[in-house]
Formats: sequence, C-alpha cells, structure tokens
Amino acid sequence: MTRPSTMTMWRKTVDGRTAALYLLPSIILFSVFVFYPMFRTIYLSFFLTDQTGNAAIMVGFENFVYLLGSSEFQNSMKATGLFVLYTVPITIVLALFFALLANEKLKGIGFFRTMYSSTMGISVAASSVIWLFMFNPSIGMFNRLLGVLSLPQIQWLLDPEWALLSVSISTIWMNIGFSFLILLGGLQNIDEHLYESSRIDGAGYFYRLRRITLPMLSPTLFFIITISLINAFQTFGQIDILTKGGPSQSTNLIVYSIYREAFINYQFGTASAQAVILFLIILIVTILQFKLGERKVHYQ
Amino acid sequence: MKKMIKSSLFWMLILAVAILTACTNSDSKDKDEPKTNDTSSETEGTKTDGAATGEKVSIEFWHAMSGTGQESIDAIVKGFNESQDKYEVKAEFQGSYEESLTKLRGVGGTKDAPAITQVFEVGTKYMIDSGYIEPMQKFIDEDNYDLSQLEGNILNYYRVDGELYSMPFNSSTPVMIYNKDAFKAAGLDPDKAPETFAEVIDAAAKLKTDEMYGFSMLTYGWFFEQLVATQGGLYVNEDNGRSGDATEALFNGPEGLNVFRFLDTMNKAGTFGNFGTNWDDIRSAFATGKVAMYMDSSAGVAGAIKNAPFDVGVAYIPHADEVKRNGVVIGGASLWMSKGIAEEDQEAAWEFMKYMTTPEVQAKWHLDTGYFAINPAAYEEQNVKDKWAEFPQFKVTVDQLQDTVPGLATQGALISVFPESRQQIVTALEELYQGKGPQEVLDKAAEGTNRAMEIANKTKK
Repeated sequence: MTRPSTMTMWRKTVDGRTAALYLLPSIILFSVFVFYPMFRTIYLSFFLTDQTGNAAIMVGFENFVYLLGSSEFQNSMKATGLFVLYTVPITIVLALFFALLANEKLKGIGFFRTMYSSTMGISVAASSVIWLFMFNPSIGMFNRLLGVLSLPQIQWLLDPEWALLSVSISTIWMNIGFSFLILLGGLQNIDEHLYESSRIDGAGYFYRLRRITLPMLSPTLFFIITISLINAFQTFGQIDILTKGGPSQSTNLIVYSIYREAFINYQFGTASAQAVILFLIILIVTILQFKLGERKVHYQ
Repeated sequence: MKKMIKSSLFWMLILAVAILTACTNSDSKDKDEPKTNDTSSETEGTKTDGAATGEKVSIEFWHAMSGTGQESIDAIVKGFNESQDKYEVKAEFQGSYEESLTKLRGVGGTKDAPAITQVFEVGTKYMIDSGYIEPMQKFIDEDNYDLSQLEGNILNYYRVDGELYSMPFNSSTPVMIYNKDAFKAAGLDPDKAPETFAEVIDAAAKLKTDEMYGFSMLTYGWFFEQLVATQGGLYVNEDNGRSGDATEALFNGPEGLNVFRFLDTMNKAGTFGNFGTNWDDIRSAFATGKVAMYMDSSAGVAGAIKNAPFDVGVAYIPHADEVKRNGVVIGGASLWMSKGIAEEDQEAAWEFMKYMTTPEVQAKWHLDTGYFAINPAAYEEQNVKDKWAEFPQFKVTVDQLQDTVPGLATQGALISVFPESRQQIVTALEELYQGKGPQEVLDKAAEGTNRAMEIANKTKK
C-alpha cells in the first residue's frame, strides 16, 4: 500500500519540483544579495558591535527598547512621517496634472513630455547640489528673489522650521519626472473608444476625467503611490547633501539616522535595529494600503 | 484574472520592500568592501614583489586631502619618488577622513592595506585600539630618529603613554578671524582683537549692523572642544582619556557651560550669526561682510586673506574672563603605518615619512595649505620668512600654538567615539540656537557621549 502512495506523492509534486528548478537561479541570487544581508541585519540588531562592526555582546531586545524610548529616534520617525506626508501627495497630484496636460494631442507635445520627465535623468546627488546653491543663505537664488520682492529672508536649510520643507520641495521636484512618466504611460493605455462614446453621449471634460480617466488609471495610480511611499521612507541622498540630518535633527530621517549610526558611530547593532523597525513600518503601511486603497482600484 | 494580478502585485511589493529595506543598511555596508578590494587588486598588479628583482618597492598612501592639499601632496610625493630610486609612493585620494577610515576598515590588518593612511586626530584612539597599525615608535627607536626636531606641542597630542603611534603630518589649530575695516567703522581698535568672552560679547554688540552680525562660529564640535580646553577644562574623565578608557563626559561642567552661555548671550542679543555646519558657508559669509568675527581653522587663514576685499585680522581664540588662557589643542591628521604588510613596504613607508618631516617639505606644505610645519626648522626657510613678512597673520597661528601651556586639557581628549560625541555637540549647539537652556542641551550631549563610551568599552576586545 505504501509504495503506490509514495509514487503518487512523487508524481503529485512534480510540478512543484519543476518550478523549484526554474526558480533556483533567482533564489540563489536573492539569497546572496537580499536574504543573507536581511537576516544578517536582523541578527545584528540583537547585538552590540565592537569597533570593527562584529557582533560582540548579545543584548536581546535592548537595542529596540533603547530606540523606542530614545527621543532622537522618535524624532526621526516623526520627521520621516512628516516628510512622507509633505512629498508623496503633492508629487502625485502634480505629476498627474502634468501627465493630463501632456496627454493632450497637440503639436510639439513631445517637447513638453520630455521636459516634464527630464528630472528623472538627473541623479539625486547632482540635483541636490543645484538645490544647495539655490538655498544658500548668502548667495542663493531664493533669498535674492525674496530680497527683490522685499520680503524677509528665510534660512532655508538652517532654520529647523523650514529645513524639512526645503528638502521636501527639492524632493518633489526630483520625483515628479518618474511619477509623470509612469502616469503618462497609464493614460496612453486607456482605450480611446471609451472617450469617443462618452463624447457622443455629451459628457464634459471633468465628467470624463472623473468617470473614465481616473478609474481606468487607478491601477497605475495605485502602483505609483505605493512605490512613492516606499521611496519617501527611504530618502537618503538629498538629506546627506543638503542638511546632513540637521538643523536640530529636524531632517534626520530614519535612513540617514541608520547611516550615521553605522558609518559614523560604528554602532551596527542599533543601526540594524533601526533598519528592522523601518522594514516593519514600511511593511505595515504597504499592507494597510493594499487593504484600504485597493478597494478603489479598478482592474480591467 | 483580477485576483491573480492583485495577489501577485501584493507579493511583488512585499518583496520590493524587503529588497529595498535590506539595501539601505547591509548593502551599503557590503558595498564598501568590494570597493576597497578593487583598489587593492588594482595595485596588486603594480606592486612589485621584492627587492630581489632589483625593482622599486611600491607602496600606497591613502589621504583625505582635496583641493590645494591634494595638489601639494602630489607634488611632495613626486619629489620623494625622484629624490631616490629604491622606493615609489603612490598617493591616492580616498574621500573625506570618515570615508577613508571606513574603507580602511575593510582591509585593515591585511596585506592589502595601504602602507600609509592619513587619519584625522579624533581617530587616534580608534586606530591604536584597532590593531591595524605598527606604532611609529618602533621605527623611531630602530632608526634613532631625533624626535626633538619636531614641534613639541604637536607631538604632545599624538603621544600616548609616552609612545608615538603615528607621524604627525597636517596640523591645524583654531583662530579667530576678524574684519579690520568693520572694527574701524565700529570705533574699535583694529590691531587689538577682543581676548575674553566678555570682550567678544561687547565687540560683537558694537559691530552688529543691519547687514552684519558681530560673531559667528561654525556649528562643529571641534571649536567647542577648543574653547573648553583653553580654559583648562577636560573633555572626559580619566585625565581626558589619557590614563585609561574614559567613562564619563566632563564637558558639561563649568567650562563647557561658560562656552554655551557665551554663545547663548550673543544669540539672544541678536549679535550672533548662525551659518550652519558647512565651512564654505561661514567663510563666504565672512568674505561678503555678513559677519565681522568668526572662528576658523588656521588652515583657513590663507583663504580668508585672499577672498576678503577688506583688511583681515587674525587673533587667538577667546577664553572665559575668570581663567587665564591655556591655549589650543592640535587638530588635523597624522600618518599611520599598516601592520601585516611586507617588511620592505614598511621600510619604504618609514623613509617616506622621514622625507615628509624635512624642513623643506614642511615649508612647502605650510605655504601651500596654511597647515603648520611640524618641523619648526621650516619656519627658518627663506620662502616662509618672505611670506610671513607679507602676511603677518600667518605668524599669529604659530605663536598661538607655541604659547600653549602643555597640560592634560591642551593635550586633547582621547576617546574612540569622538565622531559620535561631536555629533552630539552639534545637536546641542543647534538646540541652543533655537532657544533651549545651555545646561539642558549640554547634559543631553554628555548623556549621549556617556552611552557611546559605555558601549565602546563593553565591546572592546
């Protein structure tokens, strides 16, 4: 009796085994470059590390307890949350606006499409340096402009009230290109017939926007919102160049805080613990988004 | 169909989250290693294996000097390579002090490590503890090298337990730089800079105009350390970390409080200009007349004189009124020799270091960059004398160093977590400028430093 049953088991799993074989290359690659570092991070988060970054003393959850109680880390989380709120909605609304404009069939629209997506072609580092000059309190363009309009000068990157906003403004500018491109792609995919029939029915522009464009665009919108959220949580380059987390920690976003903890303070334990917390936060936000946001998404 | 898209998209995103989160920490850690491996494998090809073949011994020299410093180093290295035919040094710029130290961590102690690395002064304790390095004292003793020809106040900093672990190279101290024209306009004596905190506060109030702040200081821990040291205050316990591993920060004591009150008074009076944490910003503020007095490194004097369209004065850093001036702690960097590399490489490195300390090289270095000559005989060189005659401001920086009272305070603190502690001070200063109480922000910084030291001591091998 046993023999046939094992045979059937063997036969039953043949698909599974074939699948495993096909997946093997990517599993190996992912293990080396993703899973190993990830588990290593989780492992290190339970340790204090010595000066060469090796795990030295096992401390259990002490790193996490310390972080959650530390006002600096709480501040980092708050700053990150605010940063996400400042950047993601505005980027997407602006990108959607530009994409709707650029989707009109006009002569020379290709030029505008290129212009609107051009910020994608500039690296974060290069554009941050440009913004750094514009924000400069003594020679920057913004303060000169305020001077011409005889408005009071703003310490863009030096005033804790303004620094996060300033970084957000530059980030929005940097991210619009990518969101624009994806949304434009989504708009071009919408079936022309839908518009034609609605026009025959006498629907106005905004009615079509609300009833056809947005629902048909919703999968793309959902995708770009999720990616933007994750990206915003992981912002690093512009912080490093523009403010280095200051002034008064007001722009010390979590990823920058991780970097500082690991590579300036050589505390890989607490840095790893922060990374794990960030992972959990992003995971929760993404799950929530799928639970709440996806109901509104219309798949064709 | 809908369901499938939904669930696969969901899992793809989960995976993306995992990948991206993992990337932000471990990946960047791993990223550095291949980088350092690259540089080492590159040089492996060029590294000549042994004097047996009669070829030159080639060594690497990692440094963190950009701009004029890099040009000067390249010229000095070229001079060394041409001065003899046994050794060849390759100078490689490795990014900022922090970046090059991070790279060194990847190869330190192995045979791929560069023979010589330039490490900033606050990395001294870290380097000694790391086990990557061969103490300089070994070669000094073997070669009977005469240390007394070097500047005592500089050696003082790098000497730990009577031993010299690294060869001082680029040394600087802080100075106060001021706008002489603004002094005249405000009715102050342009040849006599204010010396004490109270005098600076007074002068700053007189110098303040709508366009110009009276005083400013870069938001950087180094200046705070100096203002504490010149009052004779210690930064940490255990004799500033020199007689044992420090366990407690002392900078929140009366001396540190004096400094924070000094800054707080001017900040509240509106005579203090905050130009942030970037050296270029504060320097351009001075050159464009937005601030009348500021603290800079002695290595910034040449630039200040060159860029300012007005008369520039250079003075000693101020001290609290109730104490006498102790002087300054040396800053900058020193050269470290690697352990675990071939013996002939170490010899080459030692020869190069001796060359670096000769008066001629040091005179060139001093004139090119404004860093001190670690060999005071350099000041007797004719080209230095000529320059000093033209710009007497340079001499002030050397005088201030030579007037320094040797002691634990001016020897400087020795802790392995200095970069972290400096970060705490930066935060404290920023919070002070936002109106928080001096004692409160100092205590917080001390607490952070204590925790860092506690972890460092606990995990020390």
